Amino acid sequence: MNVQIQAEKSANAGMDVAEEFVIETRNVDVFYGDNHAIKGVSLNIPKHQVTALIGPSGCGKSTYLRCLNRMNDTIEGCRVEGEILLDGLDIYASGVDEVLLRARVGMVFQKPNPFPKSIYDNVAYGPRIHGLAANKDELDDIVLTSLERAGLLKEVQDRLHSMGTGLSGGQQQRLCIARALAVRPEIILMDEPCSALDPIATAKVEELIDELKENYTIIIVTHSMQQAARVSQKTAFFHLGDVVESGPTEKVFTSPEDERTQGYITGRFG
Amino acid sequence: MSFYPLLIVLLLMSAVGYWFGSKKALGAVRKSTNFITPRPHQFGLYVVIWALVPPILLGAIWILMQVTPLQMEVGLSQQVNRVLFPVIVLLAAGGGLYFSLQKIGPDLKVRKTIEGLVYIVLILASIISILTTIGIVLSLLFETIQFFKKVPMSEFFFGLTWSPQTALRADQVGSSGAFGSIPLFTGTLLITCIAMCVAVPLGLLSAIYMTEYASQRFRSVVKPMLEILAGIPTVVYGFFAALTVGVFFRDIGDAIGIDIVSESALAAGVVMGMMIIPFVSSLSDDIIMAVPQSLRDGSYGLGATKSETVRNVILPAALPGIVGAVLLAVSRAIGETMIVVMAAGFAANLTANPLEAVTTVTVQIVGLLVGDQEFDSAKTLAAFALALVLFIVTLCLNVIALLVVRKYREKYD
Amino acid sequence: MTEQTQDTAGSNWNSEKFTKGLAKRKRAEVRFRRIGLLAILTALTLLAILLFSIFSKGYTAFVQTYVTLDITFSEEVIDRNGTRDPEELRLANYAKLVQNALRAKFPEVTSRRDLRALFSLVSNDAADTLRDMVADDPDLIGRTVPVSLLAGDDVDMVTKGYIDRAAVEDDRRVKDRELAWLDILEADGDISLRFNRGFFTNGDSREPEKAGIAGAMVGSLYTLVITMLIAFPIGVMTAIYLEEFAPRNRFNDLIEVNINNLAAVPSIVFGLLGLAIFLNVAHLPRSAPLVGGLTLALMTLPTIIIAARAAIRAVPDSIRHAALGLGASKQQAAFHHILPLSMPGILTGTIIGLSQALGETAPLLMIGMVAFIADIPGSINDPATVMPVQIFLWADSPERAFVEKTSGAIMVLLGFLILMNALAIFLRRKFERRW
Repeated sequence: MNVQIQAEKSANAGMDVAEEFVIETRNVDVFYGDNHAIKGVSLNIPKHQVTALIGPSGCGKSTYLRCLNRMNDTIEGCRVEGEILLDGLDIYASGVDEVLLRARVGMVFQKPNPFPKSIYDNVAYGPRIHGLAANKDELDDIVLTSLERAGLLKEVQDRLHSMGTGLSGGQQQRLCIARALAVRPEIILMDEPCSALDPIATAKVEELIDELKENYTIIIVTHSMQQAARVSQKTAFFHLGDVVESGPTEKVFTSPEDERTQGYITGRFG
Repeated sequence: MSFYPLLIVLLLMSAVGYWFGSKKALGAVRKSTNFITPRPHQFGLYVVIWALVPPILLGAIWILMQVTPLQMEVGLSQQVNRVLFPVIVLLAAGGGLYFSLQKIGPDLKVRKTIEGLVYIVLILASIISILTTIGIVLSLLFETIQFFKKVPMSEFFFGLTWSPQTALRADQVGSSGAFGSIPLFTGTLLITCIAMCVAVPLGLLSAIYMTEYASQRFRSVVKPMLEILAGIPTVVYGFFAALTVGVFFRDIGDAIGIDIVSESALAAGVVMGMMIIPFVSSLSDDIIMAVPQSLRDGSYGLGATKSETVRNVILPAALPGIVGAVLLAVSRAIGETMIVVMAAGFAANLTANPLEAVTTVTVQIVGLLVGDQEFDSAKTLAAFALALVLFIVTLCLNVIALLVVRKYREKYD
Repeated sequence: MTEQTQDTAGSNWNSEKFTKGLAKRKRAEVRFRRIGLLAILTALTLLAILLFSIFSKGYTAFVQTYVTLDITFSEEVIDRNGTRDPEELRLANYAKLVQNALRAKFPEVTSRRDLRALFSLVSNDAADTLRDMVADDPDLIGRTVPVSLLAGDDVDMVTKGYIDRAAVEDDRRVKDRELAWLDILEADGDISLRFNRGFFTNGDSREPEKAGIAGAMVGSLYTLVITMLIAFPIGVMTAIYLEEFAPRNRFNDLIEVNINNLAAVPSIVFGLLGLAIFLNVAHLPRSAPLVGGLTLALMTLPTIIIAARAAIRAVPDSIRHAALGLGASKQQAAFHHILPLSMPGILTGTIIGLSQALGETAPLLMIGMVAFIADIPGSINDPATVMPVQIFLWADSPERAFVEKTSGAIMVLLGFLILMNALAIFLRRKFERRW
């Protein structure tokens, strides 16, 4: 339901020239204890597009990503300052339930991390805790649709009740994506989702990301510049905790304004 | 109303509350425009919490008040017990039910309430271990203070005779009893030393062989077998010490013409050492394993043999850790009870001769407290004073040992 | 560097001095290795001696000597009125029947002292056996039937060979005349060894031949159940709190340090705690499994907490993140994912903690579980004893026959401990997950 409405909206938005932003961040600072990991980042994330965050290791791109669904709350001594607005509402304001937030902003991790349960239970877990299905049939439906969307259904159709941990690496990662989709999030954060996968599995996941952007806003952290170029429409280049440059992917890659971006893209450092 | 009917009524009320709560929640959720709302069963639980927590709190307060009873006439207090308390409890439960059902709506933060309660329960469970320590300290301290009111501290800590037999009649010989605990401490020390003389070399050498020489297969077979020694109940060791080892040493003594009593400190000490071998060996095993491979490689690279490496590099590096392990073992030996109760004597001899019978702190605690006790006699209270000393000594040994081991580990992490 | 080493550099590896030194070092190496092996062998030998001494003394506890006598169920003795009234039959003097049978077997024994010795060949349990037989089948009255009766403990010791017949009579517990009677019975084939059922079904007794471990086993079971019901949930909750929820602050550090220290407090101190708190303040019943279980629960708690924490810590963070990323709350992540995944480890630790509690004696002595209790406890509030304490009590008894019973009880206790540890190992092997 919800997804459909959003899909219509996005169709309308496509006709307008002005972009709609789902996430706006203003002057975000993140500290790990005394370590100033992110320094005053302001970045807007457009709706129903893929935004890639690139940059050398330790530049803060993963940290930034984890701020967007408050996964940083789980790290002790981590402090976030500044404003992060989701649909215009500050997600770090008091009274915001981080659990609800994470249901709206799903996440896929670097290493595939399926629960050591059956494939079915992996996907059904989110809908179960959030009460998204009124009965068994609805739940089955959600699980099958999610697996279908993640492009995994054909491969696992006849073994839905075998262990999710028994799948291959690429399948596991797509299972994790299906699991995230089953909660019907608006935004999906992907933290280097292909770094643990072989090239063929990577290609499949990239294909999937491309399809998903029809209905979802996707933010992906990646080390591979080719991947960023292939899947994203927008790119932000992080360097030493700051966004040095951001804009349409094509522009960032072909005619970067900042010399640090230039240097990174041409492989002079990173 | 007595306890069980009251409990049943409360449970019934909360069951009804659960049903109403989840039903009402279903309606509320349907009307809600929110994307994700709490599940109906969470609303049900929410109502149950409101129905049960106030009565439970009231009950707890009630029990505390019973401990310090108010001045009240018997009839009145019975009235209060039978009528007033149940009425208040049921009113509280009813009020909670009504209040929570009223509050049900799509924007109610149900999960926070439930999880808050779970969190409190978890903290309460964690506090029990602290309460245990406080309980130990307070109960020992309280009785010990009573004891020192009857027996001067100087006698307890510096007296050389221990014979706590306070007589039944005041005119009996030796009616006062003597509470000089020095013989107990020396006895404990003697047996502990003997135990360490057995356990430390055997345990340490076993650990060295296991870590540096033994094949994986040898290790996987022998290590569990050594661990069996740690799993045997102490009462079995006591039986073994009293019946087999004690008699064995006595017979040897007879054969070579030395007088060894069958309750000798030697027998108890040797068996206790036997029990502690796996303790020393597994602790030292861990510690030797923690010595970085680079140190070994450095020594081998210079052409040192394994035994030279062990003696000149590994042992010096692991020494602090091993000292910590030995301290832990000492604290274990001091606190050990059954072996000495069954194999060492009850008579307090002030001697350093391992062939004679000595007694220990734990033996005396058992001796003083098993059987009939009157709680105000110096004899009974003396057991608590001894236990307090035992507690403090073992605690200090442990704290020091843990600190030493931790320091050691940090060095190589 | 001195001049000498410079001179010989490169060549001293072949020098006689070095070769000799090397040989010496090699010998030292072998010696050191042998000493290590010797230490292990010594420890294992001690273990073997311990087990052998227990088993060699204990295995005979599982059989018991019976004497077969021709018992005449004479009406004059047990049913003088001939009414067959069950109440009257119950109260009748069955010991007399046994005595008559023994007199008939050995008519030459007449003196009072000798008769008393003769009668003690058979346990006083025999009268109960006969009473039960008559209650089951009143038609026995008036007939003569061969019946196998439990022998006295001295007879038992003789048949099992624990009494040295060659010793001087005065040093011997069993005198020559008894041995003579026994030889006659033996020659007639009236002495037999049978499986000792009573050892597993009877409570404690002052008579070694009747004493059994049923009471202690039931007491141990009750105590252990209480211990488990209290220590397991509290231990698991504490571990979850400390690993998953506790913020790093002084209070939680205190809890942690405190648990580590509690684990090393001598067990007897927990006994004193139980005495002071549960008996003297809370006035719970003395000698009861309830109090024993509570005391042992406090003692076992640190073991369970430490094991449970290790098991919870072993679950990788990726699982926590996966659940949180889907919008599960911290508690949902902990209770839906972390706890089930760490359960095998937690259970293993709990079983090991409980097996420690099962073997524990000292704290229970403090709370009065050391009394002589012949009845099998019926509830957690009845006076009871437990297996290790029963062993302690029997080990203290002077009768020779109790040595065998003690060893037998130890074998049973060790059997239970082996079972529990085997279960723990099985759980670990079967369910442990390597991440």
